[in-house]
Amino acid sequence: MQAMNTLLKNFAKCSAFPFAVQHGMKKDLFPLRRTLILSPCLKEASSHSASEKLDLDEWKKVMKSGVQEASEGVSEHKELSTVAAAREAVEMWRLAGRSVPENISDDQLKTLMECPSKASKKKYLKFLYLKELYKKNDKRKMEEKRERRLQAQAERESKPDDVKRNSFICSWASAMDKAHNWRVAQSMIFGQPLVFDMSFENDMSPREVTNTVRQIVFSESCNRKSMDPFHIHFCNFQDNSQYHREFIKQYREAWDKLLITVTEQCYTEVFPKNKIIYLTADSPKVMKTFEHDKVYIIGSMVDKSIKTGVSLARAKRLGLETASLPLEKYLFWTSGAKNLTLDQMMHILLTLKDTGDWRKALEFVPKRKYCGFVGKSMTDLRKSLNVVNTLKLGKGGQEAQKRQFAKNYSKKLIHE
Amino acid sequence: VQPPEKPLQAEEWKRLRENFQSPEIFEEVMLNSMIRCNSHVDVAKSLLTCVAKSDGDVGYNLLIKYLALCVQQQKTSEICDVYDIMKMRFKTLESGAYNLLIRGLSNSDKWRMALTILEDVKKVMTPPRTSYESCIKAATQHQEMNLACELYHDMLAKDLVPTLDVLQVFFDFSRGMKDAELKKQLFGILLYLRDNQIYPHGMFMRSIKLWFESIPGENWRGHITNIKHSGKCPVCHHQLEDSNLTEEEYHILKERITADVIHGRDTFRKTTPQEFEAFQAFVEDRLPFDIVIDGLNVSHIKAKKMQCENLFHAINCLAKENARLLVLGRKHMLFNSSNWNREVMKEMQNKADFFFADNISEDDAFLLYATLKSGKHCRFVTRDFLRDHKACLSDSLTRHLFRKWQRGHQIMVFPSAEGKPFNFLPAFNYDCVVQTTGDTWHIPYKDTFEEKYSYQVPRKWLCLQRKQ
Repeated sequence: MQAMNTLLKNFAKCSAFPFAVQHGMKKDLFPLRRTLILSPCLKEASSHSASEKLDLDEWKKVMKSGVQEASEGVSEHKELSTVAAAREAVEMWRLAGRSVPENISDDQLKTLMECPSKASKKKYLKFLYLKELYKKNDKRKMEEKRERRLQAQAERESKPDDVKRNSFICSWASAMDKAHNWRVAQSMIFGQPLVFDMSFENDMSPREVTNTVRQIVFSESCNRKSMDPFHIHFCNFQDNSQYHREFIKQYREAWDKLLITVTEQCYTEVFPKNKIIYLTADSPKVMKTFEHDKVYIIGSMVDKSIKTGVSLARAKRLGLETASLPLEKYLFWTSGAKNLTLDQMMHILLTLKDTGDWRKALEFVPKRKYCGFVGKSMTDLRKSLNVVNTLKLGKGGQEAQKRQFAKNYSKKLIHE
Repeated sequence: VQPPEKPLQAEEWKRLRENFQSPEIFEEVMLNSMIRCNSHVDVAKSLLTCVAKSDGDVGYNLLIKYLALCVQQQKTSEICDVYDIMKMRFKTLESGAYNLLIRGLSNSDKWRMALTILEDVKKVMTPPRTSYESCIKAATQHQEMNLACELYHDMLAKDLVPTLDVLQVFFDFSRGMKDAELKKQLFGILLYLRDNQIYPHGMFMRSIKLWFESIPGENWRGHITNIKHSGKCPVCHHQLEDSNLTEEEYHILKERITADVIHGRDTFRKTTPQEFEAFQAFVEDRLPFDIVIDGLNVSHIKAKKMQCENLFHAINCLAKENARLLVLGRKHMLFNSSNWNREVMKEMQNKADFFFADNISEDDAFLLYATLKSGKHCRFVTRDFLRDHKACLSDSLTRHLFRKWQRGHQIMVFPSAEGKPFNFLPAFNYDCVVQTTGDTWHIPYKDTFEEKYSYQVPRKWLCLQRKQ
């Protein structure tokens, strides 16, 4: 509220000034006086230079004259709580032109103050700033869209004889929903289980948990829309955990109606151990085929800091079989970590389940991470790799990369 | 954009602004380029005047940019003016502005004002180290050594790491002063270098040398020298400290390696509890070893040779004088394959003890454990710099201990071209840190333009001795 007040005051002050300047009030108050006194004697000689005469410190006087209002604002609230002080600091950063959000809630301020270092504070503020920016852009686009729609409607109404020729009532969305739900319900009885291991909460920061839950929501939705969905299990799921709270935030009321199995139990208690395969990028074993009678487990974890071996440790502890995707075998990897997002994993597994075709399934690996499929013609690949390398390393690295490439390729040939 | 040479009239600025592609940020872009081109402040002033006239206000971002320009050109009175305006206009300033003000004022005759601003900043936040550094530099330049020391200690208390430049000014401006308290402070700085394993650069080394030689009545002489492998200083024939840890330090290091590196948050990440127990029992059974070898690391030295051949040569080289060897490897080495011949493996197992970890376990952690468990005389052989294991340690004190221990106990292997299969770079016999015996000081330093990696230690030393 206080910040609002000062903002409003600043605004009032700003808008008052151009008015004053326009009406020549300032002229009587300051600087021109000096030139006016000087000018009569020099009038003839330097009419030209008089116009060039500049009072360079004029801006200071303008600034100082505007102070009265502002300093009143200051004296209003002497005692500042820490939250207010933080808000003030953020506001000053914004004025200084840093990437800082315009509006910040008290909760966000508290999170900000809990950040342990200056760098983490900056990072958090930048995150909020970008979030705000995206929101604003979305809102603007929505409004533009609505305007266009209204316009189109107005045009349509001007031509009244146009009759709808569709024989269906326009309610596709809900019909599709019903069909999808029917399929998922069937999968809950007959479908192949797919487990999300929800035991990584302590290995993640709050933001990573949020990202994880969002990725699971995406996965769930693409599973629901597939021809032959998995029966999704959330295992090791604790009520009132961070995961739970985030899910409720994402799904709202729909959380209780989801067609998935949520349990506090571990997957080893739900399924026989010899049927379980834990999927992790750290696994030394590479998956060859998708098996329809196995239970695959995906660790619900986003690790931005690449903590190796966390999910492999889980599988080791329980003595489970592990597997990783055959990314190296099918793709020429260029950059990026081998761990994929949860929704990409879901897409890949669904495609494998339907077709068993690795090439088709691995289309869902982000394109930036690889430069082509193994087995394409050599020249094509070399070309694309060169483009990638010139972009990445400049021309110098080309030769070295070529050699590296040849080495990799020969290795691959040997292995196949 | 190119800033104009001379101050412009408001109309001229307006014209420029209209021609600019995005007029709303014209002023900012223009001031930025003025800072870059180091334009005269009058040009900037004329722009601000134009802004003030049309808007009746000058934004905080523009004020800061103008301030930066003034600081860059040392216009002290302008800096004071801007500070006054900012104080009147805004309740608090942000860190960037404070930092600029402190930097600008500390270089002028109003340097005491910078100190008061620093005090103000302290009330709201921890000042950045650059602010402290400006103030310390100002204080030393005005021979206020006590004040400078106070600021320095304040800075250390806030966990800020001073740059070498700041430490250097202490030595530069204390030259020839006869002040026992100050001398103690400067020795304190040298001990700070020792504790944090920091190596001064060439210029700093020269400042230290000159200061020592200028202490009245003490007759110090400094020489630049290289120290040979034996650890004996060629100038004063003094034997440098060895890198053995004290009993207590050794104990701490052993505990932390087991807790942080091997177990970490989850023992299953690097090994399994069963495997680690088995390894512990194995080591207890056969203690103490003289040399622990990272089998897989050594076996990759020469890519053209079979891996077991490499390892075989290394073991032969090291297995002299009844040294007890432990070789760490993984289970896959036991399967007969193109790289691992069963016969050779059997022969090697007659010469050394072998422990095979699971194929997905980390053998480096076992290497550290076995070496530390065997005692202070035990060395280990690997080409690995062990940086990832050092990073697992939780506090900087233990990391320093680890580095010191590593320097004194790691034997590096290099492939050699002719004759012998390998070259061994033995562990250091002396410790590479700032050290003193009261009458002598030995200070390792790095050349100013020399690039040094964190695992390398400098070879050049400054030897200081007091002639009676």
